[in-house]
Order: sequence, then structure tokens, then C-alpha cells
Amino acid sequence: MLAFIIKKLLYSVLIIFGVMTIIFFIMNLLPDPARMMQGQRADLSTQAAIRSELGLDKPVVARYFDFMGNAFTGNLGRSYTTNLPVLESILERFKATALLAFSAMIIATILGIAIGILSAVKSYSLIDNLSLVFAMFGISVPSFVMGLLFIIVFGSWLEILPISGYVDNGIEYLILPMVTLALRPISIIARVTRSSMLDVLSADYVRTAKAKGATQRTVIFRHALRNALNPVVTTVSAWLASLLAGAFFIEYIFNWPGMGWMAVEAIPRSDFPTIQGVVIFAAVLFVVINFLVDIVYAWLDPKVKLA
Amino acid sequence: MALLEVKNLRTYFFTDDGVAKSVDDVSYTVNRKETLGVVGESGCGKSVTALSIMRLIPMPPGRIVGGEILFDGVDLLKLPEDDMRAIRGNKIGMIFQEPMTSLNPVFTVGNQIEESILLHQKVSKEEAKNRAIEMLRKVGIPAPEQRYKEYPHQLSGGMRQRVMIAIALSCNPSVLIADEPTTALDVTVQAQILELINELQQTLGMGVILITHDLGVIAETADRVAVMYASHIVEYSAVNEIYFNPLHPYTVGLLGSIPKLHIESDRLMTIEGTVPVPTAYPVGCNFASRCPYATPTCLAEEPALKEVETGHFVACHHWDEVKVRRPEHLVEAN
Repeated sequence: MLAFIIKKLLYSVLIIFGVMTIIFFIMNLLPDPARMMQGQRADLSTQAAIRSELGLDKPVVARYFDFMGNAFTGNLGRSYTTNLPVLESILERFKATALLAFSAMIIATILGIAIGILSAVKSYSLIDNLSLVFAMFGISVPSFVMGLLFIIVFGSWLEILPISGYVDNGIEYLILPMVTLALRPISIIARVTRSSMLDVLSADYVRTAKAKGATQRTVIFRHALRNALNPVVTTVSAWLASLLAGAFFIEYIFNWPGMGWMAVEAIPRSDFPTIQGVVIFAAVLFVVINFLVDIVYAWLDPKVKLA
Repeated sequence: MALLEVKNLRTYFFTDDGVAKSVDDVSYTVNRKETLGVVGESGCGKSVTALSIMRLIPMPPGRIVGGEILFDGVDLLKLPEDDMRAIRGNKIGMIFQEPMTSLNPVFTVGNQIEESILLHQKVSKEEAKNRAIEMLRKVGIPAPEQRYKEYPHQLSGGMRQRVMIAIALSCNPSVLIADEPTTALDVTVQAQILELINELQQTLGMGVILITHDLGVIAETADRVAVMYASHIVEYSAVNEIYFNPLHPYTVGLLGSIPKLHIESDRLMTIEGTVPVPTAYPVGCNFASRCPYATPTCLAEEPALKEVETGHFVACHHWDEVKVRRPEHLVEAN
């Protein structure tokens, strides 16, 4: 198990290294930032001053090594617009994104798996059909439509929840964006769980468990669920990673000061260090989550450890 | 009193294509220390009968629509689910055809044997573990302490079937249902597994229902045989009678289709025609369309299973004719 973890860890570091390299060189393909900041009226000496201040006058290879060295010590540079350290701003904004993403995914995972199990065990019943309708709705209605709908209904008509904004420890501000964000993953997790459970419930070892005299609860939760979780874990982790990278629409609609919004703001301002920082941060998140998921797979399926 | 008595069992499946009468009026008994062989081709209802005894028929679409299953005098079909659960895996153990897929891949084999023990007996975890290891030893698995900690994918098919047997026997059941226990295994391993079942039967005194399509397996292990064809028992008698005095045309056909080393022939004998589909059985005898002895009576009237010689039951209108006209060399050769 330890060897397995170390191996996966090394892979993870390698991937992050590769991602950073690619991002750095892509950013270098973009037009000269010093020129873009100055616009049409730029005089050459000011541009040169800005270039040397930002270190853009050095050769690209030297800048690459500077960038990598700095990045591994946690220095992702300073924003061109706010002049604040990028990492600091990201972490500041990430708090809000993480709160939203984790709370939405916890709800989505619990409800999704519960609905999925129920519809598999009672397949083709009324409950199963209702959950199918719910899931189709959840999957096909875009989140910005649902978000606006919720704002109108709960914020404007019923006036029971604030329509937007973020307040520390203000749980009532969290509810609407969280529910909006959770709706689609709930639906997808429910469908994935259902089909996976249906497969597993007709497996021979489930029949063996029944023949042993195990209760229905034991059969479903001990024997079937663990075998059915593999595709569910994949779905949950993919959704968690993408929500942690920032849910642009939701953050924008609900005025939620998260990372996604930050990236959207940085793009028209050509704030390259911020964009670069957000992309790297998101990549690291994906890698970390995938690393954790690999360990979960190994725990779920004993065959994985040998691989 | 018989240990297990299946009486006029009817298990039907209600499908979109109609009602499949998978088990139709099947009766047999199993006594202590006795092996009942149930033989027949795929889809004849032998496994469905066994699953009905365990009450493991998937419902829907299946349903046991009639009959009784008396176990120690108690009708299992009338028991509440909780009481039935206390019998499954405890008083009646079952092993299945597919050892490769019948064990749960995410638990160690030790864990899976223990589970059965802990379900039915009030013992500590430690005690259950010791018993699980003891069961592994009993079914002939070398280094049981080591194997206890292994996962199913680390064992061969024969080993896994031994583990299945260990699970089924872990609570000392009085009946063991073995549904094609050796079909998926190598021939050499087959013999070992059958021997093991026989041995454990003698020491534990259980009644065994051995379901198979292999007449050779039956010859080696069974005391009595029920031959099933298209959801009915067509012949039911002591094992020797089946081989030396088959009275149903289907049984004769089955015996004839076994290749014989000392009789030279270019082709194996087959039974003409195909089995009728269970959603559309004919009015008369289910075998009539394939039977060389069939007469208009057979097409009109379903033959009942009746005792025609002492302890020998046959469901055929023309059993006496079969007795006279059957190819004797086929019968003797067995």
C-alpha cells in the first residue's frame, strides 16, 4: 500500500510539473504585457522600464527557471492590476469557492447515492420513475436558469433567502447557490449509482450473500454498495474537482466572491499572473483529488493494489 | 419423515412473452445422508426448483404459485422472511455453478466464511475466525491461516469452489444444495470436489441435492435420481434403475447420447428436435414432439408421474413399450 501511494505521489508531482511548463510557455505566446498595459500612447522608455520591472527583458529560458523556482516556493508572482501576490489573492478567494463546492458536493453525494440505491432496489417502481424525471430535469436545465429561478422564487417572491452576496458564517447566503450547484451532480450521481447498483444486485456474489441468510440491508450496503461505488467515486471526484476550480456562472449570478469569478475578471484585464495562477491552482487541485481518488479505488477494490 | 420434501411445487415467471412455467408440479424428497441427483438439460427447471427451496427466486418476475416445501415437517413457503433467513445458510446451505463470480471480490475469503458463522451462531469474532480457518482446512485448502487473509482473485477456480463449500457448510446444515458445483471446473478438480462433498456428507450426515446435467457425475455420487425435462420430473428412481432400467424415452435418449468407448459409431446419438419454450408448452406430454414412442394419446393427454415398479416413478404413457423396445446395448453399456 505504501509503495502504491509513493508511486502515485511521484506521478502527481510529475503531472504538476508538466502542467506548469505548458502554462508558462502558452502565456509566453501572448502579446507583450508591457505594451498592452500602456496601450496606444506608450513611449518606449516606459515600456522598457515595465519590462525590466516585470523581468520580461530576460531570455525566455531564464524566465522559465525563475518562474518554476518561484512557483515551487509558493510565489506565483504579483497581479498586474492589484499588485498583490497572486497566491494570496487566490487563497483568499478560494475559501468562498471551497465552501460552496464542498457543501454542494456533500449534499449531492449523499442524496445522489441515496436516490440511486432506492431506485435500483425498487427498479421500475413509482419511486424509480419519479427519480428519473427529477434527474432528467436536473441534468437538462442549465444552472444559470435554475439559479435565476431560485432567486425569483425564494428571494423575490417568498423573501425567505437573500438573493446574492457572501457573508462570513452567513449560512442563509450559502443555501441558494449551494442547492443550484448541487442539482446537476445529484441527478448524475443518482443515475450512475442506480445503473451500477442494478448491475451489482444481479451479481452471483449477491445471490451468495442472500443464500447465507444475510438481511436485505446487509446485502445492499455491505455486499452490493461497495462493489457498485467505483463509477460513483469517479463521478463525484470529477465533479468536486471541477466545482473547486470555480463555478463561474453560479459565482457570478449569486455575487459569490470565489476563484471562478476572479479568473473571469482577470481575463479582460490581461492580468496574466492571475490567470496563470488560477490555472495552476486548479491543476494542482485536480491532481490532488485524483491522487486521493486513486487511494479510494485501492481501498474499494483489493485487485487495484497489485497493479 | 423425510428431511426435505418438495411437494407439487410450481414456480412461474410472469414475463412480457407470457407465463413461463419453469417448475410445474415437481415433487421429490431428500433424506439424511442421502444424495438426490437432479439431472436435466439447461432450462429444464432444476436450478429454479433449488432456488425455490431457498426462496431466492427473483420476485418479480418469478413467483412460487403452488405446492409445499416441507423441511423437518415445516412448510418453508409459509414461513415469514425472518424465519426463512434463519434457515438459509444455516440449516440449508447452497453452492453455485460459478465459483469465479460467486464470491464477493472486495472481502477476504476468511471474512466471507466468518460472515455466515456470525449470522447464525452466537460466537465471538475470535471464535468465528478460528472456525473459518477450521472450515478452510476441512475443505482441503493448504495453509488455511494464510488463505484466510486472501481475496478471491488470489485463488484458482477449484480453490474458490472449496471456499464456497466452506461457506455453505460453516453452520453444519442438514441439507446441502449443490447447483452444478463442478461444471465450471477442470475434470481433475471436478473429481476432487465431488469426493469432498461426499466425504463431508458422510461425516456431517447431511442430505445433498446435487443438480447437474452430467450423468457421469450422477453415477458417481447420487443414491436416487430425478430426471427433469421441460419443467417436469419425468423419471424418478434409485440410481441403478436409471442406468440399467430407464423407462422414460427421454432418459433413454440421454443415456444414448453418452459416447461409449467399446461401441464403434461414426456419430453420437442425439435426441431429435428441440425443447419446447416454457411460455408455450404443448397440451399433452412435453416430450411428445421428440419422442419415437409418441402416439395421439401423448399429444392429447399429459402423463402423470406414477410408480410403475417398486420405487421407480415414470411420467410416460408408454413406459412398458419403452422397456421392451429400448436399445438394450445402450443400457447395458452404462
